[in-house]
Amino acid sequence: MMKRTGCCAFAALLLSLSIANADAHPHVWVTLHSEVLYSADGTMTGVRHAWTFDDMFSAYALQGIAHARKGQYTREELASLAEVNVTSLKEYDYFTYARADGKKLKFSDATDYWLEFKNAALTLHFTLPLKASATAKAMQIEIYDPTIFVDFEFAKDKPALLSGAPPQCLITADLPHQPTPAEQLRLSQLDNVPLEASSTYGEIFANKILVKCP
Amino acid sequence: MSRSRSLMLTAAAVILVIVAINPAWTQGTPFGAPHHDAGITPQSGLMAWVFAKQAAFYRSLSGFIRASKDDGTAIWGLFGISFLYGVFHAVGPGHGKAVISSYLVANEETWRRGVVLSFVSAGLQSVVAIVVVAIAAVLLGATAKAIGLTVRVVETVSYVLVILIGLRLLFVKGRGFLIACRELISRPSGEATASSSGEANTVHRHDHGHNATTTRCEHSHDGGDAHHVHGHRGHDHHCHDHGDHDHHASAWGHAHGPEPAELAGAGGWHRGLSTVIAVGLRPCSGAIIVLIFALAQDLFWTGTAATLIMGLGTAITVAAIATVAVSARTVASRIAKARSGFGMLLMRAIEVGAAGLIVAFGALLLGGYMASEQLWMFTG
Repeated sequence: MMKRTGCCAFAALLLSLSIANADAHPHVWVTLHSEVLYSADGTMTGVRHAWTFDDMFSAYALQGIAHARKGQYTREELASLAEVNVTSLKEYDYFTYARADGKKLKFSDATDYWLEFKNAALTLHFTLPLKASATAKAMQIEIYDPTIFVDFEFAKDKPALLSGAPPQCLITADLPHQPTPAEQLRLSQLDNVPLEASSTYGEIFANKILVKCP
Repeated sequence: MSRSRSLMLTAAAVILVIVAINPAWTQGTPFGAPHHDAGITPQSGLMAWVFAKQAAFYRSLSGFIRASKDDGTAIWGLFGISFLYGVFHAVGPGHGKAVISSYLVANEETWRRGVVLSFVSAGLQSVVAIVVVAIAAVLLGATAKAIGLTVRVVETVSYVLVILIGLRLLFVKGRGFLIACRELISRPSGEATASSSGEANTVHRHDHGHNATTTRCEHSHDGGDAHHVHGHRGHDHHCHDHGDHDHHASAWGHAHGPEPAELAGAGGWHRGLSTVIAVGLRPCSGAIIVLIFALAQDLFWTGTAATLIMGLGTAITVAAIATVAVSARTVASRIAKARSGFGMLLMRAIEVGAAGLIVAFGALLLGGYMASEQLWMFTG
């Protein structure tokens, strides 16, 4: 009898636990184009992003932005919003994580940023300069939101390009892979075992750029 | 036992039916482009599938809102998708049902009240989103940054209230647990009244609590309206516990549901109201984005209707989960009843645990340790 009571109590507690979870629904979708920048001496200097937001989030971001013509926004009218965007993104490391032969690289603050509004969607252009330019046989750049609030996905057309890189360098862009069974399991348990804010679980869904310079 | 089991089955059936109906729904939509879910089927994890589905529903909302501008019939598609999004959204993450269910378990509420509280909190959540957007965006023309900030403030207030409610419950239930503990310790000595004439230590604590209770009860009768709702609910609890303590000779004052008078009384509803307000205060980011998107299409009223329908869907899921929580507790308490000593202690322990969970949720959410919907990621 005691066993059954214990079971039930345990079940009730488990139930309470299982409904406690993180709010990690994606509410922003970003289609991205990225360019890996190199200087004349063959070192990587930074990344240039063009992120296109989904139409609902674009409308949300545009709320209250003064504009002369209905349904149209000029780059100047969007300048203040672009400023807000990159300032906010700083806190999230611009969702961009780079490694040179496995060693983490650091980015400085975004530069050359502007917004463009086309086809009901906002596109944020910005450059992330590396703190110190780097060379590597294998350069990896990942773009993802660890909390999965923002869902990043490479554009189908030319997702990643090289700019000024040595001719022997090759670039590939990997879409997030299909989750492995283990990752799938973790995904299905997301609601029972919530993600911590510091979790890097979203890395599974990272969009990976690889630059190989043999 | 059979009644609660049938309740559980019904709740499970409702969820299953909704889940079964929906693939047929989405296949017909032109916007149902699911994301990341090519390999995610119900077989490979129901939660993962729900996760992907609700994202797909959410994304299809914009298409339906646009379409309803020119096509009057598209609005029904929009309402249908809004409802499903609400249902699925609530199956997944969200602190609302966690807090409500824990509250129901800790407080030994009836499933009926659980259902009502679920609906009220989901309704309130929709209304808050609508009010925030109506005032900030429609009337004041505020920017996304200002709206994000507003949501942030409201959210913080909500989390603080959750913590306060949890602490309140923890205090009340912790006392109940100690009383049950003492009961159990004193029982082997063979004296039913040992608890009131036992060790000095315990008596002291007992008297202290007893006095405080009486004062507070009177207080609540005299100047109830001078107190905010939260305090009032707490007072009720003291009264309840006090009464319960008097019943202790029967060893199981708590086993039956709330007295009819207690259910009918105004104070009875006040108790749940503070929880509902705390939980419902926090608007869903998705609803805010949908509303502003609708506003940008000059379809604010359509967006408002869609938001309310989302709330209805959310309410159904939360109510189903709350029903399961209450049923589990009912079953546990019936079994525990057979062993009044340990059983009672166990029930008290569950209550304390549930109250502790509420505090933990509130603290984690407030501290930002639980990933939350961060509207300000891009907009400050």
